[in-house]
Amino acid sequence: MNLERLPNEEKLTLCRKYYFGGFAFLPFLWLVNVVWFFKEAFVEPTYTEQLQIKTYVKRSGLGFLLWVAVLTTWITIFQHFRAEWGEVGDYLSFTIPLGIP
Amino acid sequence: EAAYGQEMNIQFSDVSCNSVAQKIYVELNNTVPCVRLLNATHQIGCQSSISGDTGVIHVLESEADLEWPLSKGPNPPYMVLLESSLFTKSIMMKMKNASSRVAGVVVVQKTSPPEFSPHTTCPNENTGVYTETYDHNLAHCNTTVWNPRGNGLSYEEFDSPVFSLKEDNETEVIKQCYFDHNRVVNGSGLQYPLCAMQLFSHMHAVTDTATCMRRSSMDFSTSPVMVCDPLGGYNVCAFIRPYNSTAFGHKENESVVIAAARLDSRAFFLEDSTGAEGSVSGFVTLLAAAQALREATQEAPPTRNILFAFFHGEVFDYIGSSRMVYDMKNNMFVIDLDNVHSILEIGQVAVRSGTNLFLHSDPVSRRNNTVHDEVGVKCFYLWHASLTDFSQPLPPSSFQRLLRARAIPGIVLADHQTDINNRYYESFYDNAAHLNLTYPSNLSPEEQLEFVTDTAKSLTEVATAVARALFKQAGGNNSQVNKINADPKTVTQMLYGFLVRSNNSWFQAVMAPELKDILQPNPPQYYVGVAKSSHQANALTYLVQYLLANLTGTATNLTQSQCKKPDELPNESTYLYSYLWVQGVVPPNSTQRESFCVRTAVRLVKAVSPAFDLGDYISKEYSTWTKSQWKFIKARIFLVASRDLEMLTLGVGVAVLFTSLLVTYFVRTKADVLFSSVREPNNAAY
Repeated sequence: MNLERLPNEEKLTLCRKYYFGGFAFLPFLWLVNVVWFFKEAFVEPTYTEQLQIKTYVKRSGLGFLLWVAVLTTWITIFQHFRAEWGEVGDYLSFTIPLGIP
Repeated sequence: EAAYGQEMNIQFSDVSCNSVAQKIYVELNNTVPCVRLLNATHQIGCQSSISGDTGVIHVLESEADLEWPLSKGPNPPYMVLLESSLFTKSIMMKMKNASSRVAGVVVVQKTSPPEFSPHTTCPNENTGVYTETYDHNLAHCNTTVWNPRGNGLSYEEFDSPVFSLKEDNETEVIKQCYFDHNRVVNGSGLQYPLCAMQLFSHMHAVTDTATCMRRSSMDFSTSPVMVCDPLGGYNVCAFIRPYNSTAFGHKENESVVIAAARLDSRAFFLEDSTGAEGSVSGFVTLLAAAQALREATQEAPPTRNILFAFFHGEVFDYIGSSRMVYDMKNNMFVIDLDNVHSILEIGQVAVRSGTNLFLHSDPVSRRNNTVHDEVGVKCFYLWHASLTDFSQPLPPSSFQRLLRARAIPGIVLADHQTDINNRYYESFYDNAAHLNLTYPSNLSPEEQLEFVTDTAKSLTEVATAVARALFKQAGGNNSQVNKINADPKTVTQMLYGFLVRSNNSWFQAVMAPELKDILQPNPPQYYVGVAKSSHQANALTYLVQYLLANLTGTATNLTQSQCKKPDELPNESTYLYSYLWVQGVVPPNSTQRESFCVRTAVRLVKAVSPAFDLGDYISKEYSTWTKSQWKFIKARIFLVASRDLEMLTLGVGVAVLFTSLLVTYFVRTKADVLFSSVREPNNAAY
């Protein structure tokens, strides 16, 4: 969808939808929000709705970075310690690798 | 267990697809791998990586030559090819420690070393009767080390694959490839391409039995992958006076003498287990004794019953005997421990020095006077065998599991006084040659079957002594005793069938028609194998079952359909007997076999460790051995190029890719200059 053809109110509604949608444990919606609306929020000349779009884009960016931090930490811990956790590690796994602890 | 990937040579259009692979790889078909076994605490055996382990072939000439693969050689990793005389613990441990440079080991079976036992020095030390609580001084082989030559190689863990090959055409191909490409010329470096071998034996199970059983049962995906299987099989049992097989538990006023022997063996490479002295000597003697007792017990039945018990899985922490004791204690067997009067077990009896036989007993239970007297009586019946030292414990034997449950008087008969005489205990050299089973060279296989060897004569003596002792122990009439004699012809035929060739005319005659495919031109496999969920036993179990049926049962006149449903006849009962339809002999002037129905008291009793029924996978009481599963196991050789050449090829390819991208970019930007054309529509496409 080409944002240049949309009127500004619709751009705002779209940005808002993606922002609120990301709260449903969907961080990729926030990533899409940031990438898609980045030009609109920070590069284009100012228009009335741009301030709100800017806040949504900033908050989406923060939320996405938070998700990245949490997931990276959990994945690192799990991959490192799964073998040591024995039974708990197996119960947390969906696919258990064959032939290695 | 697993499906072998096999290459199909399709004759027609697919030849062009397969032939490139066939030009590169030479598949090795007759390999025996070392696999992974697990128990409650450890994993033993070998593991390869999931995409196979590749190494440049190096044929080891001596122990000093190990320096080449371990440190000096310029093209690691190496695949070390050993002859069987170099397959020693020190060499294997050195290679185990250098696993980054040694990708795997291949053992080629040639001459046997003077002695070699990969088993532990104290077999089954934690599941026998001699624990710290039973007698502190006798635990862990403190007084007598039964297998002093044991180096424990079978119980080590290797993280690279170890395969075994026989000396045949395939080994010649490998040696030829090695001599053509891999030989070091005047100390100078080796020239690529080099001959390499790749071994695939990726095992699924890891850590211990509890982990792999848990993972087998919990897989969430749509096609759950079984990770390991418990070891087990069937015990073969026969009473001389059978009981109703559906009535379990204690039998009033019944006293039973158990005559026991072990069926199974193992080797470092499990599928190559021979076990001539380790197990065959014992159970062949017991089979011959059972035959010798048949007539005497039918004419004048003794007061006590006799149970011939052949236990399977004894090598792996007494699977068969622990199961029987467990069944007896929980009223799942036709008798219970109160019915057991005494036990005579036949251990390893074939390697005798002179005519010596020894009787081993348990010193701890003999502190009780009744037990002591009963043992004394038994020894008296086996008068020409000598007693061992009073304070010496029992050798590893199934009797130990019965003692763990109840102080039963018993004797283990063996050819060794202190440590065992078997130089090749639980190894693949414990074969017919070890027992000096030699036949004159001009005999055909059928003549060899009938030829009575010296080993057979020696075992016949033992069998006669055992049969007479059992008869007297069971309260038989003394006047009948001298008529009990084992038949040397039967013994030699059994030795031939179990150690040289199982596909012979006698074995064919005693087997059932649907089982005749288990008879092969080589001896049967003595490894216990995994417990199958269907009622299928392995070849050894069926052979012993049908032989015991033939030697102790009676031939009947029933037809084949009557043999399947004998209950409809008035005098037959499937509660007491089992009815087996066997092939019979081929009479001289015809081609049809004279099949008949045998009525026998022989039964197969399930022998799986109680730990798996109880779900206690960390049990210290029972065997917890399992074997890992795998997808495929194969080996192949091919020529491999140097690393530098591979990197160069890759580099050139990447360079070509980038060059082509650049060229495309330039052509695109200067398209209007390069493809100047008058026509408008071409430009409008942009």
